[in-house]
Amino acid sequence: MRPRWRKVFSDLIDNKARTLLVVFSIAVGVFAIGVLVGAYEIISTDMSVSYAANNPSNIEIRMSDFDEEFLHTLGNVEGVEDVEGRWVFGIRVRPLGSDEWTSLNVITIDNFEENKINLLSPVSGTAAPEKNQILLQKEIFEDFDVAPGDTIEFQLSDQTVKSIVVAGIVADSSTDAIDFLAPPLGYITPKTLRLFNEPEGNFNRLYATVGEGKDDEDHIKDVLSNIKDKVEKNDYMVWRAFNSKTHEHPLESTINAVLGILFALGVLILFLSSSLIANTLSALLNQHLRHIGVMKLIGGRDKLIFRMYIVLLFAFGVLSLVIAVPLGGQGAYALSEFMGTKIGFELLGYRIVPLAFIVQILIGILVPLAAGLVPVIKGSRVTVQKALSGDLAREADEGGEKKESRLESFQIRAVSVLADRGIRISRPLLVSLRNTFRQRNRLILTLFTLLMGGATFISVFNVRVSLTEYIQVVGNYFLADVTISFEKLYRINEVQQFAMDDPRVTAVEGWAFASAEILYDDDTVADNVDILAPPAESPLVNPLLVDGRWIAPTDKRKLAISESVYDSYPDLQAGDKIPLKILGREEIWEVVGIFKFIGMEGTIAYAPYEYIAKETNVVNQSASFRIVSDSHELEVQEELAKDLDAFFRDNGFQVSETSPGLSMLNEASESIDILITFLLIMAVLTAVVGAMGLAGTMSMNVLERTREIGIMRAVGATDFEIIRMVLVEGLLIGMISFVLSILVAFPFTYLLSWIVSSATFETPIAVVFTPVGYGIWLGLVILLSVLASVIPARGAARLTIREVLAYE
Amino acid sequence: MTETQSLPLIEFRDVVKNYKSEAGIFPALKGINLQVERSEFLGIIGKSGAGKSTLLNMFTGVDELTSGEVIVHANGESISLHTLSENDLALWRGRTMGVIYQSFQLLPMLTLVQNVMMPMDMSGLYHPRKSREKALELLDMVELIEHAHKLPAYISGGQQQRVAIARALANDPPVIVADEPTGSLDSVTADHIFQLFERLVQSGRTIVMVTHDKGLVPRFSRHIEIVDGELLPPSNSPLMGENHSFPLRGKVGKGAK
Ligand SMILES: Nc1ncnc2c1ncn2[C@@H]1O[C@H](COP(=O)(O)OP(=O)(O)OP(=O)(O)O)[C@@H](O)[C@H]1O
Ligand SMILES: [Mg+2]
Repeated sequence: MRPRWRKVFSDLIDNKARTLLVVFSIAVGVFAIGVLVGAYEIISTDMSVSYAANNPSNIEIRMSDFDEEFLHTLGNVEGVEDVEGRWVFGIRVRPLGSDEWTSLNVITIDNFEENKINLLSPVSGTAAPEKNQILLQKEIFEDFDVAPGDTIEFQLSDQTVKSIVVAGIVADSSTDAIDFLAPPLGYITPKTLRLFNEPEGNFNRLYATVGEGKDDEDHIKDVLSNIKDKVEKNDYMVWRAFNSKTHEHPLESTINAVLGILFALGVLILFLSSSLIANTLSALLNQHLRHIGVMKLIGGRDKLIFRMYIVLLFAFGVLSLVIAVPLGGQGAYALSEFMGTKIGFELLGYRIVPLAFIVQILIGILVPLAAGLVPVIKGSRVTVQKALSGDLAREADEGGEKKESRLESFQIRAVSVLADRGIRISRPLLVSLRNTFRQRNRLILTLFTLLMGGATFISVFNVRVSLTEYIQVVGNYFLADVTISFEKLYRINEVQQFAMDDPRVTAVEGWAFASAEILYDDDTVADNVDILAPPAESPLVNPLLVDGRWIAPTDKRKLAISESVYDSYPDLQAGDKIPLKILGREEIWEVVGIFKFIGMEGTIAYAPYEYIAKETNVVNQSASFRIVSDSHELEVQEELAKDLDAFFRDNGFQVSETSPGLSMLNEASESIDILITFLLIMAVLTAVVGAMGLAGTMSMNVLERTREIGIMRAVGATDFEIIRMVLVEGLLIGMISFVLSILVAFPFTYLLSWIVSSATFETPIAVVFTPVGYGIWLGLVILLSVLASVIPARGAARLTIREVLAYE
Repeated sequence: MTETQSLPLIEFRDVVKNYKSEAGIFPALKGINLQVERSEFLGIIGKSGAGKSTLLNMFTGVDELTSGEVIVHANGESISLHTLSENDLALWRGRTMGVIYQSFQLLPMLTLVQNVMMPMDMSGLYHPRKSREKALELLDMVELIEHAHKLPAYISGGQQQRVAIARALANDPPVIVADEPTGSLDSVTADHIFQLFERLVQSGRTIVMVTHDKGLVPRFSRHIEIVDGELLPPSNSPLMGENHSFPLRGKVGKGAK
C-alpha cells in the first residue's frame, strides 16, 4: 500500500473509538431514513395493492333484512357492477377448554368459489368451508391460537353452546377495513346457518362495486345514493352506509400521515447526526493538524491531502452503510409488517426497496462528505508553519485571543464577586468551566444536538398525554357503562324493566339511528352522515361544542353535527340550513351546533330520539341501549356487561353485542399507542444521537487535553480531581442543553401535536403538558453526561504521566 | 543547467520578516542578505530568540516574508520562493529540499520505512516499488534497517532523528535544511548525526543547519551568526565572548568533537 493510503487506513483503524463514533453517527441517520423510506414504499404499495387485489366493495350498506330477489334489483341500479348480499350476525367463540369468550362476527357467503367482492386470501387450511365448518380471519390470533382442523365452541344469543370445526384461516383485508376496532370475522356457507339457528335466504348487508370510476369518490357516493334511494323506496331501513375507493385502503391517508411525521423526525435525526459528524471530523482534523503540516513539509499539495481526507470520509460512509443498510432493510420490513398486522393488510413479501437502498447509499456517502467538507478544506489549506506550531486559533477566528481574555476577565470578576459572598470556587472547577467554553463551535453543535434530541423526546411525551386526554374527551360521547345491541327492535320499557332488575343499573336509554347524506346545493352528495338519536336530555353525551347549542327535545329537522362537516361546508355556522337526504327524502335541516369528534370516524350527527324515532316509525322501541351503572370502572363495567348479556339471553332476547363503555376507549387508546410507540422509537433515536454527540464531544475534549491532564497529574492533581474536572464540564453542557430543551419543547410540542392530531383525527387537539417527559429526559441527561465524561476521563487518568507527555 | 550552475544555490536579498501580534509589530529579520554555495555545510548560529528558525523558514518557504526575496537556483531553474503558491511550493520543496526539525516530525501511525517513502509518494517521482527499495537503502545508510517495520514510538529519539534524515534524503534533494537537528539528543548521538551530515556534504549535497551550539562552529565549512535578526559580518565575532551564556551546550559541543 502506498504510504498515503497506509496513513488513511491507520487513521481509520488506530482510534477505534473515534471511528466507531463517526460510523455510528452516520449509521443512525442512515438507518432511520432507510427504515422510513423503505416502510413508506412497502406500505404504500402493498397496502393498496393487497387491498385492491381482493376486489374490495366500493359500497357497503348495513340494512334491514332483504332477499335474493331484491338483491337482483339492486344489481341493476345504474353504475353498479357487482352486488353481493351477506347475512352477518354476532356470536361468541372460544377454543375448547377455555372459558374466555371472544366476540366474532359471522359472515355468510353464498358461494366461496364464485365470490366476487371482498375476496379472502387463504392463510392455512381451506378457503372454502363445507357444511358445518367455519373459516376464521387471522386476526383471531390476537385472542387465541387455533389451527385448521381444531374444534371451537360458540355461544348463540339464546345461550346455547355448540361446537364447529375450523376449516381454515384466511386474511380478509376488505371487510370492515375502515373500522380497526371491529371484532374478528368468521365465514360460513348458508348450509351452516341452521347450526346457528339463523334464518336462511336472508341478507342484512349489501356489498357492491361500481363499474367505472372505482377510485372516484364522488361517483361512488352518487351510486351509493342511487342504491339507498331504491332501498328506502322499497321500505327497507338503512342502518349505516360506507363508501370507499378500490385502490386506496380506507386507512391509507392516516397511515401515510403517520409515516410523514416519522419521516420528518427521521430527517431531524439525520440532520443531528450530520452535525455530530461535522463536530467529530473537525476535531479529527484539529488532531491531524501536525500530520498535515508534516506532509506539506515533505511535498504534499493541498489537493493530495484533501483527497486523502475525502477518502477517509468516504470510508466512514461505507462502513456506516455496511451497518445501516441491512439493518434499515430489516427495520423497514418489520415496521411494515407491524403496521400490516395492526391495520389488517397483507405484505407482498420481503424485498429490498431500491429507492430506500439508493437513498441510504446517497445519504451514507454524501452526509459525511458534506459534514466533513468544511473542516477538510480548512485542514488541507492550512499553512505548514501554522500546522506545525499547532497555531490554528488565529487562523480559525481572528478575535479568538480577545474573546478568550474577555471570558477570562468575566470569570475573574465572577469569582471575586462570589468570593465576596463567601462562595469559593476551586481551581480545577474553574478550569473545567473554561474548558467548556473553549471550543465554542463544538459546544454549540453539541448543545444543538442534545437540545433537539431533548426537545423531541419531551414533546413526544407531551403529545402522548395530549392524545390520551383527547381520547378522554371523545369518551364524553360514550358515557354509558354498558352498550347492548340487539338483533331486532325491542320496546324500551321492556328492556328497561329487565335491566333495572340488576341493582347496579341506574338508568337505561334506548337510542335510534338513521343514515343520511349531506348534499350540496346542486343535489350531489357531499358526505355520508350517521345520525345518532339519544333522548335529547340524555346525560350520556357530553359534547365538546365548537359552535351553537346541543340538541333539544322539541327539535324538528335539526341536528348537531361533527366538525368534519367542514370538509364539505367549510363556512358552516350554527343556525345555517343544509340539504339532507334522509330516509329517502330530500329535506332542509338546520344545524344547531357543531361539535368536536374524531374526524377519521366519519361525520356523525346527533338529533333527538323524540324526532327520529317518530320519523323512522320506531317510537318507544330501540335495538341499541345504553346502560348506566353506579360505578364507572372498567372492571365493573365488564362484569356488568357479562351479567347483562347472560341475563338478556336467558330471557330470550336476541343479543348481538354487549360491550363495556370504556372498552371502546381502551381500544381507541391502543391504536393511539401504536402511533405513540413509533414516536417513542424516534425519540429514543434522537436521544441516542444526542448522547453520542455528548459522548463524542467529551471524549474529544479529553483527548485533546490528554497532555494537559498529564501535566496536571505531574503537578499533583489526583485522578479524582481530574475526573471531577471533566465531569463538571459534561454536567454543565448537559444542564445547559436541558434548560434550553425545556424552552424549545414548547413550540415542538405544539407542532408535533398539531401534525399528529391533524393526521389521525383530522382536527387539531388541545395540548397538554406532562412533567414525565421532562423528568425522564433530565434523568437521562444527567446519566449521559456522567457516563460521557467519566469514561473518557477515567481513560485519561489511567494513562501514566510518561504516556501522556509522549502523547501525539 | 549550466547557466544556474555558476550561480550560488540560494540567494537572500534584503529579507525582512516582521511578526504581527497583539503587542505590535516585531521585526524578527531585519534585511538579511546572504548566499549559499553548492556543496557547502553552512552553519547558522545565534542565541535563543535571535531569529534562527525564522531565517530557516525563509529557506524552506514555510512562512511568508514581509519584504525581500529568496531565490533558489537548482534543478536548472531559478525560483523566487515567495512568488510560488503554497501548492507549487510544497511540490517544489518535496523535490528540492529535505527539511529536518529538532522534534523529528515523523508520522506516528506509519512504520519507519513508510515514513521514509512518504516524500517519494507525495512527489510522484518514484514508482511505489522503487520507492520502497530506496527507503530501505536510506534506512540502511542511517543504520536502522533492522527497525524498518517498527513504529516511531518504539525507537529512541536519536534513531527517530536518523529516520527524519533518511526521509529528508528520499527525493535526492540538492539541499538539506535542518533546524537544531541535534538539539534534543545526547552528545554521542548528536555526534553520530553530525558525522552523517558530513558524509552527505562530501557526497555533494548542500546543508544549511541552525544551531545555538558554538562548539560546532569548526565542523561547518562556513558559519554565519545572527543576532536580533541581523547577520554579523563573518570576521567580526563578538558573540564568541558570550560563549559562557551557553555553558551546558558548550560542553555538549566540545564533547561532540
Ligand atoms: N509567530 C510569532 N509571532 C510573534 N513573534 C514571533 C513568532 N515566532 C517567533 N517570534 C519572535 O521572533 C524572534 C525570533 O524567533 P525564532 O523562533 O526565529 O528564534 P530562534 O533563534 O529560533 O530561537 P531558539 O533558539 O529559541 O529556537 C523571537 O524573539 C520570537 O519571540
Ligand atoms: Mg528556533
